[in-house]
Amino acid sequence: MTKTSWTSMNRRGFLAAGAAAAGTVSMPWVASAQAKTIKVGFPTILSGRVAQLGTSSRNAAQMEVEKVNAAGGIGGRAIELVVRDTKGQPQEAARVARELVNSDGCELLIDAEASTGAFAVHEVARDLGILCIHTNSETSSLSADPKLKLPNAFRCARQGIHDSVVGGTYAAEIANAKNLTRWATCSPDYAYGRDTTAEFVMYLKQFAPKVEVISEAWPKIFQPDYTEAITKILQAKPQALYSCLWGGDLTSFIDQAAIYALFTQMQFYAVNMADYTALTAVKNLPAGIHSGNRYIKTFPATPENAAWGDAYKAKYGEFPTNWAWQNALGVNFLAEAAKKANSADGKKIAEALRGLTIKSPFGADGTVTMRAEDQTIVGYAVGWGTTIPKEPYVPEMKSVPWQRIFELEAAWKKSKGFA
Amino acid sequence: MDLNALTECLVSTSCMVTQVTSGFIIGMLLFLVAIGLTLIFGVMKIVNFTHGAFYMIGAYLAMTVFQATGSYTLALLGAAIGACLFGVVVERFFMQRIYGGNVLMQLLVCYALVLILDDLVRIVWGPEFKSMGMPDAFRVPPLFILGGIVPPFYLFLIAAALAIAVVVGLAIARTRFGKTIRAAAHNPAMVSVLGINTGLLFTGVFALGCLLAGLAGGLAAPVRSLTPGMGFSILIESFIVTVIGGMGSILGALVGAVLIGLIRTFGALGFPLFTEALMYLAMAVVLIVKPSGLFGREAA
Amino acid sequence: MKSPALRDVLFGLAAFLVLAALPLVTTSSALIDFVIRCAALGLFATSLNLLVGYGGMVSFGHGLFFGMGAYSFGIIMQRTGMPIPLAILLTMAVAALVALVVGAICVRLKEIYFAFVTLAFQMLVHSVIIAWTPVTGGDQGLRGGIPRPSFLGSNLADQKQLYLFAAALLVLGLLAMRHIVSSPFGYTLRMVRDNPTRAGFLGVDVYRTRLTAFVLAGVFASLGGVVMSLFVSGAYPEFAFWTMSGEAVFIVMLGGTAAFLGPMVGTVLLLLLNDFVTRIAEHHGLVLGAVILLFALGLRKGLLDFVLDWRAARRTRAEAVAGTVVGADKMERIAT
Repeated sequence: MTKTSWTSMNRRGFLAAGAAAAGTVSMPWVASAQAKTIKVGFPTILSGRVAQLGTSSRNAAQMEVEKVNAAGGIGGRAIELVVRDTKGQPQEAARVARELVNSDGCELLIDAEASTGAFAVHEVARDLGILCIHTNSETSSLSADPKLKLPNAFRCARQGIHDSVVGGTYAAEIANAKNLTRWATCSPDYAYGRDTTAEFVMYLKQFAPKVEVISEAWPKIFQPDYTEAITKILQAKPQALYSCLWGGDLTSFIDQAAIYALFTQMQFYAVNMADYTALTAVKNLPAGIHSGNRYIKTFPATPENAAWGDAYKAKYGEFPTNWAWQNALGVNFLAEAAKKANSADGKKIAEALRGLTIKSPFGADGTVTMRAEDQTIVGYAVGWGTTIPKEPYVPEMKSVPWQRIFELEAAWKKSKGFA
Repeated sequence: MDLNALTECLVSTSCMVTQVTSGFIIGMLLFLVAIGLTLIFGVMKIVNFTHGAFYMIGAYLAMTVFQATGSYTLALLGAAIGACLFGVVVERFFMQRIYGGNVLMQLLVCYALVLILDDLVRIVWGPEFKSMGMPDAFRVPPLFILGGIVPPFYLFLIAAALAIAVVVGLAIARTRFGKTIRAAAHNPAMVSVLGINTGLLFTGVFALGCLLAGLAGGLAAPVRSLTPGMGFSILIESFIVTVIGGMGSILGALVGAVLIGLIRTFGALGFPLFTEALMYLAMAVVLIVKPSGLFGREAA
Repeated sequence: MKSPALRDVLFGLAAFLVLAALPLVTTSSALIDFVIRCAALGLFATSLNLLVGYGGMVSFGHGLFFGMGAYSFGIIMQRTGMPIPLAILLTMAVAALVALVVGAICVRLKEIYFAFVTLAFQMLVHSVIIAWTPVTGGDQGLRGGIPRPSFLGSNLADQKQLYLFAAALLVLGLLAMRHIVSSPFGYTLRMVRDNPTRAGFLGVDVYRTRLTAFVLAGVFASLGGVVMSLFVSGAYPEFAFWTMSGEAVFIVMLGGTAAFLGPMVGTVLLLLLNDFVTRIAEHHGLVLGAVILLFALGLRKGLLDFVLDWRAARRTRAEAVAGTVVGADKMERIAT
């Protein structure tokens, strides 16, 4: 199944490899350089609470690297991923990233770090001028804030603001239809949680003007117990609750809120619910939780996407995560850009990446674009839907046309002073 | 800051009931972990940084047993006994070598053990978070008491923890084992002169502490996500509890635990962005006013 | 060698020259990065040992000053762009002030209670860093890079020059701390550590001595923070988190508390272990833990302490052998 859906890609890759081989024959002195592998540094978190971020990122990237190498590598050179644990500490991320470049001889970086670590690697990219693709940081400012812009740093990950536009639109539609006016929020107390919640609420209110937020709970990230947040929300008696808790925090929250029967008293909008690990970890998932898509192999509902999800499952024995598709796409972008630039040189790849559109199973219309102006991806599949406790988990996803997302994003950038 | 919400709650019975019970829920799990910490410190004079790891092991064992047998009672037994046996091994092989030694060396050994145990759990159960699921018996709608909402599982949890507190408290006050423990806490040299095997006594105390930590893990497993390293956050809070209550005092641990629980629940209403800091603030204030903690004996 | 102070200065100078010559011998950027990190953590750990080893005060909140140093320096540079040396002095002054306030409350407390209250203050500062987003950047840290305007002909944006600067700060910082512990104040501090009551009887102001040590330790920890912020070109809340303090305590234990250079040895050891083990092993907690256990249960003290004790023991043994005859003679006389 995997093979059939990937033949088009493989064929193109094969042609490229053929062309490269032809080049080698005619220019024998390049041969030794091309025989050498190209090392790609991969700093990520492999230990501690979010070790899954690192393992699923690495797995997905590795799976794509194998395909790229089978098709001749980039610039005729096979990719070798050099994966290193940063333990989620920014100073370690900076150290590891520098070391990968300076002593391991990595010529490109895929930064699979999250939050603060990504900013630390960003500074290393600034210092060393190396091509760096951030694949796990969803913080909007990383690419939206012009002060942080670097010609050599790209983001290949979803962005909070895009999720919020779609989430706000989706939630407002239901709020207007069912007259849900009293809302509460419960999100982790750090930049991602605060920004994403504020953006969601902003769009919700914009499209459903009668909505007011009557209670906010801000548990700490990785907090084991949410009882105080849950009872606080129950006291306020809202009609709907929004949360951007994720991973184990979200499942803890659901387990703890379920015994207070919270989900029978209000609608629940959890942007990070539709992720296989979270969906399968919760033993008695309440039906009808609204969620954004993280990674779901049925959205976009294309054979390519389903095949990719199944291939990953077959290879690693578990479903891909949101981190997985982002890193897979990161490798795809590198390979395609290198092909376009006909070079493995970082500067030339960066040049080729700007504005590059590639075919991808994760695209809303089958393609994803690396937007030139802020060097972040657009056109990937963003949707919201209602979850059910068994496969396919989210039977129907609703989306917003990217043109509309662009308009709202532009207005948001202006209001933030980013544009 | 949201003082309005706090005052509104203070005058409403339903809100008070809900918040106070949830304060107790948070407190009781902390208490079960803190008992062990405080006993071990009282008798062996060692700050046991590995204690959170036994809570973690208890939670994972409970999940495994529960999924294999479907019985929560067996799961709790498995968690408690498993953690206890594990505790005996760790105590015999490592802890016994560091009693009475340099405090810093004790910390170092504990730190190393935590690293190892976390990684072992990761190897056995995998790096991703797990969830055990609520036992069927407790999958019932919450009760309404004076207008406040109380889930039955939490009533069970509070009752179980209080029962354990009473049992352990009585055991220490009445039994021979308890008397020896108290004597050892007071004057270990004298106890060993009297012909009591302190090595065995220390193992017993450590095992008891681990048993309770494992039990706490088992009790927490249905409502908390299980990850390697989950022991750490509860360890820090339990330390705050023991320090506030006074190292070595069981009553102190109980009071400290409830205090922290209440600070968390009412803090979340009044100071939503500062709840964490409130805990540390409470600890600092208690220690500055009474350096040995609320129920601690004044150190000589 | 005339005086110990002169010997220390010469030793420091020699160490600096060796470090300065390093880039001539090797082109490895990783080694140079390694030394810069050693400078940051070494200053931090040695400053903690002023409290732990010389003052007998085990602080769990020393990371407060490390984080304070990184943040103050970063904020000053981003906002004012004043010359780097001036910014460093200002940072140390800020740290001194904060240490004075925190220390005034903490140093009265004993042992484990001192440890926990320092921890509490650190977590309060950590909460403030996270909450005070407009100034500190919140939990995402100080972003956008720390500007490094050149001064006195040196340009710290260049890695080699940053390296020399960090090495110089390390040597100067260590010399200053060495001077402190071998001064009369250093001896008073040790007396207070060993027997505060007796020191009190002898007219020593125990409280003031401890407070002074606390402030000095805070100042040098902040210097370590400055080096770290220059290295990562930013400052992150993790620097002021309790794990940072834990790391310093850990380094001090690993290297040893009795010898002045113990924490430096510990720093090099930990960084080597960390870098090497994370490189080769996926389950590095397991490996690192096992190595630490071997150390702690095998040596039962820090590495440098172990080596020095072992040498001292050998010397005594050698002397004992040389003096056996006299000794035996004495013994006989005592016995009779």
